[in-house]
Amino acid sequence: MNTFVFQSPTKVCFGENSAATAFDVVKDFGGSRPLLLTDKFLVDNNLIDSIIDGLKDGGLTEPFVFCDVPSDSDVDCVNSASNYAKENGCDSIIAVGGGSVMDTAKATNICLSLGGDLLDYQGLNIIEERLRPLVAIPTTAGTGSEVSFVAMIKDRVEHRKLVFGSRFLAPDAAILDPVLLVSLPPKLTAATGLDALTHCLEALVASVTNSAVSDALALEAARLIFDYLPRATKNGEDIEARGQTLVASTMAGIAFSNSGVGIVHALAHATGARFQTHHGITNAVYLPHGMRFNIAYSSEIYGKVARALGFSKSLDDNEASEALVAAVEQLLEEVGLPNTLRAIGVPEMKDAELDEWVTLVTEDPAIIFNPREATAEDIIAIYKRAY
Amino acid sequence: MPFFSSTEEVQKIMEALWTEIRENPEIAAPLLDSKLIVRFHYREPEGRLTIDCSDGHNMLIVWGEYEKKPTVEMFMKADIAHQFWLGNVNVPVYLISGKIVAKGPVNKALALLPVVKPAFRIYSSIFEDTLNRPLISA
Repeated sequence: MNTFVFQSPTKVCFGENSAATAFDVVKDFGGSRPLLLTDKFLVDNNLIDSIIDGLKDGGLTEPFVFCDVPSDSDVDCVNSASNYAKENGCDSIIAVGGGSVMDTAKATNICLSLGGDLLDYQGLNIIEERLRPLVAIPTTAGTGSEVSFVAMIKDRVEHRKLVFGSRFLAPDAAILDPVLLVSLPPKLTAATGLDALTHCLEALVASVTNSAVSDALALEAARLIFDYLPRATKNGEDIEARGQTLVASTMAGIAFSNSGVGIVHALAHATGARFQTHHGITNAVYLPHGMRFNIAYSSEIYGKVARALGFSKSLDDNEASEALVAAVEQLLEEVGLPNTLRAIGVPEMKDAELDEWVTLVTEDPAIIFNPREATAEDIIAIYKRAY
Repeated sequence: MPFFSSTEEVQKIMEALWTEIRENPEIAAPLLDSKLIVRFHYREPEGRLTIDCSDGHNMLIVWGEYEKKPTVEMFMKADIAHQFWLGNVNVPVYLISGKIVAKGPVNKALALLPVVKPAFRIYSSIFEDTLNRPLISA
């Protein structure tokens, strides 16, 4: 059995219309003048009105709203948000949005709490003290950022993603309100759901860091995604399906925060950085190929998962593993996601371009958690199969 | 009880190890290609080592103060460094549990982990030769 460390410092609150309680939740952690960090789409479409009303009812007649967060947030955005928060005397943050908004909130919290230059906190475990209260309210069911210890922010000067990792970055509370996901379009619903499924299936096989605790979360989250993602994709107003996929995404977030992800994420990060593809869709394309690559090292785990989820009755782990991969491929088809890199607009790479991209994959921190070491040749072979 | 009795012991071992690495083209070439400056901060006992590959041709091994800004900094107990070079440290676990702190674009340094693995084979003998005592009683 591995020695392991498991932690999950985030309080999780679930319920229809629970977002309206955000101000009360942030007060529980000592906040009184929260910055409401979100994106313009949510403001313009009145999707955060209940949260704003909650702030006004609580005595903040003019809430401090910062909504200039782009889909791929960057250092400038973090600096603007933290300056706005400091100018208005904010002492806490409520983040409402997808992964980009929540990661921006975590990075903003670093600047608000510790001061100085954001870049000085880049790395793993650099932050060693408690930050200001942060409440995260996800509006997609995929990234798990509402419970994770990591934030990724783009440095547009150096053209790279900066990684910030510390247990103190985890939000104090996550409010899971399925009503906020009702207007999420089918394609985004499917893509973010596959991101969450990738978190589950990579956390389960992260052989040196996983544990029975994170495995339990990842396995149940995978079951919920297989059961409810097709429903949530077909009918966005299916509150039960929205709720179950949202809970699954959070469980998967806790699992991968403790166990890590793997080669599928490394491939998706490198492809996304090079060709600006959507993270969830890119994960979805690579997932069956990454699993097949890992079968030689992880068939026992995949086999158990396949049997637990009812995809196979075979006691032969290789056979059951193949059944699990086939179930993933069938899910992709059912929720209408493409299954090749070509179909998502990735141009065919050759020689020098391919070598440069392989370097991005091998330098991605996710790859160190993968159960099987991947050579440059392995990575190119997976790319070609996924193409 | 720590493996190293003093800062001087850590310095002797790490300088001897990195000198061997510098002489070994299999390990040194990819490190030089990376052009990274990596600084290791040790504690219990204290020490600071910088490996400067920034010019791509010569690897500088500097113990103590060094004026150039490192690309990546790693913070750990000297014992963890010792166990790492013996091949006993699972880096992902140590990063997740906070036993190793990494500052800067850590992906660049992590990508070099497979590159330095051949040095695990030579560390034991360097330890014994340099400190003139068997590893087992260290």
